[in-house]
Amino acid sequence: MSDIGRMLKNEQPEHPYVPFSYAGSMFNNFATRFCSGCGYGIIAQLFTRIFEDEHLDPKLFPTVIGIGCYSQMLLLVHYKSQKILALHGRAPAVATGMKMANPRMKPIIFSGDGDSLGIGGNHFIHLCRRNLDCIMLIFNNSIYAMTGGQGAPTTLFGAQSTTTPYKMFENRSDGVELALAAGATYVARTTVAHPRTYMKYFRRALAHKGTSVIEIITPCITYFGRKNLDSLGAEYTGVKGEKMDQGFKMIDWIKRNTVRINQAKFMSEEELFNKYIIGEFRYEPNKPEYSEEYAKIQKIAMGDK
Amino acid sequence: MISENGKRFLEPGRHLMMGNEAMSEGAISAGLTYFGGYPITPSTEVIEHLARRLPEIGGVCMQMEDELASINSVIGASLVGAKAMTATSGPGLSLMVETISMAANLEIPFVFCDVQRNGPGTGFVTEPHHNDLGLVRFSGNGEFQVIALAPMTCQELFDLTITAFNFAEIYRCPVFILSDAYLGHLHEIVIIPSKEEILERVVNRELPAPEDYVKKFTYFDDISGEIVIPKPPQMGTDYCPGLFIHQPHNYEGLPTPKPMQFIKSIMDKVNKNKDKICLTDKYKLEDAEFVIIAYGLPVRASYRAVDIARNEGIKVGIFRLITVWPFPDEKVKDVVKDAKAIIVPELNYTGVIAEQVERVTKLETPVIKIPQVCEFHHPDDILKVIREVAK
Repeated sequence: MSDIGRMLKNEQPEHPYVPFSYAGSMFNNFATRFCSGCGYGIIAQLFTRIFEDEHLDPKLFPTVIGIGCYSQMLLLVHYKSQKILALHGRAPAVATGMKMANPRMKPIIFSGDGDSLGIGGNHFIHLCRRNLDCIMLIFNNSIYAMTGGQGAPTTLFGAQSTTTPYKMFENRSDGVELALAAGATYVARTTVAHPRTYMKYFRRALAHKGTSVIEIITPCITYFGRKNLDSLGAEYTGVKGEKMDQGFKMIDWIKRNTVRINQAKFMSEEELFNKYIIGEFRYEPNKPEYSEEYAKIQKIAMGDK
Repeated sequence: MISENGKRFLEPGRHLMMGNEAMSEGAISAGLTYFGGYPITPSTEVIEHLARRLPEIGGVCMQMEDELASINSVIGASLVGAKAMTATSGPGLSLMVETISMAANLEIPFVFCDVQRNGPGTGFVTEPHHNDLGLVRFSGNGEFQVIALAPMTCQELFDLTITAFNFAEIYRCPVFILSDAYLGHLHEIVIIPSKEEILERVVNRELPAPEDYVKKFTYFDDISGEIVIPKPPQMGTDYCPGLFIHQPHNYEGLPTPKPMQFIKSIMDKVNKNKDKICLTDKYKLEDAEFVIIAYGLPVRASYRAVDIARNEGIKVGIFRLITVWPFPDEKVKDVVKDAKAIIVPELNYTGVIAEQVERVTKLETPVIKIPQVCEFHHPDDILKVIREVAK
């Protein structure tokens, strides 16, 4: 991948999986800017793959990106897609404006856990409440990674971070529960360790008319894995684990620490503590969608019902 | 898309309108299709009026969950090619400055109606107080230039809103309309021009010729060195950069290692066009020894004071700032060069414009402030000062 950056502009192949064409002119030796073991590379690659395979029109599927490590993804995702880097937490509001001003569009929002559950929690709730036709991807690495590993609203109980040096003792906020309560009509959670499920959910979200929220659990080795033991989420089993300082260890941990939704029904609250439940939580395709409802209002106001 | 059902334009002629309504109608005439707002006294009538009017013409009026969302949805709508605006008051403006700074970086055009109220904090919510100019001109982090217009009648609220939209389209910077609690709630006769007259005035959002698609952001021309402001790019068309990123960027929208060049471009696009942006008005200034410099409502009280003073033989005139920011340095210098004293009645205590006048005159001419808070200037207040300085 690092060779692509050195190519001259006219040499660049018309291939969807290559990075955005100017990346090479910006960084002399451009490679992915993510740490080794990061899950964002997987997410960006899968996004690009779906974008290409589904023949999405870049003009109708703008990408609104929040602030976090994943902001760098705008250099990696499909080079033809039209992207805007929004402010921290405000991506759902920007997408609302876009969708309402041009109802043919279906914005795809990239946001992180701090972005959508911390600073932008209000916008996230109201996006789900309106059931505006868009896709919201929440990348949950349970840490504020870009600023150097501070505790996030999603940090697991007992985990270490730079602002919780002893241990995290706050309650965890759950993006899926929040989206369900706020009224999103398609809600799912998956992990980067389950890429095919992620693609399936993403395709379903593309076909769905209404707010789709997909939370993706992704590893952060540098600021989460290095500092925490892989016994997190398995406290009650008495496992005394080792530090998750390599990519595969963290992917292993994610796999071990997730529970399918149909299994979770039979598990006690104690067993589910600090675990991630994955699966599709809600799919209601027939709920009224905001921009369509607004179009009806416009018709009434214009007087030509 | 604006519907062609003819509801965009009001019937030409005289209408009795509230200031906030006149402002809203001006915006609709200018081609407004997206309004994102959050109710706040004293600007609430704007969103109330537009919630009824905008769907009629095929536009969208969104009541968002807070001010942050309002302004962000406005820039989202502006990015996809809608003429967009928001309206709020001081506390709302404080919340919105973050995004104003981002919009200035990306050169996203939008209009911002600030119906000013008393502060700091919550203040007296229905009292006028021109205390937001300081925040408006330095709104947000970073260096950028804004345009602020100060109407003083409901008619001007209508007319200047159209001008504001035109400035936003041409100069691609945040454009503010500085109304206030009295003006917003004032009922006056507004004369609505005919449809043709309005359409002649309006600058539409258009795509440039396809050969100009490369340069999407303000740049200095290589040969002439002059500043060029391209038309605003639109998402959903081919005239759109691959990514909108709010870092110092070049004319293609790509991050550039020359932040100085970038800051220069977003400052100079307004500063170099001051002669077109700075609208001013003169009243009995030809032989004036004493000059009143004012903007907004205090001008109306000044007219009366000047008329009385002229009858008494005092040579006094008014220099009115219609565009408050950028400050018209050269024009003010020209006006005050022979003045014995400058009187600045302002609806605040600090004297934001008085400070600018002092800067321009280099303290050579005495500048007398007439501060007033939450209340109109009575013409007598101004007259008293005129008589004192004329002694």
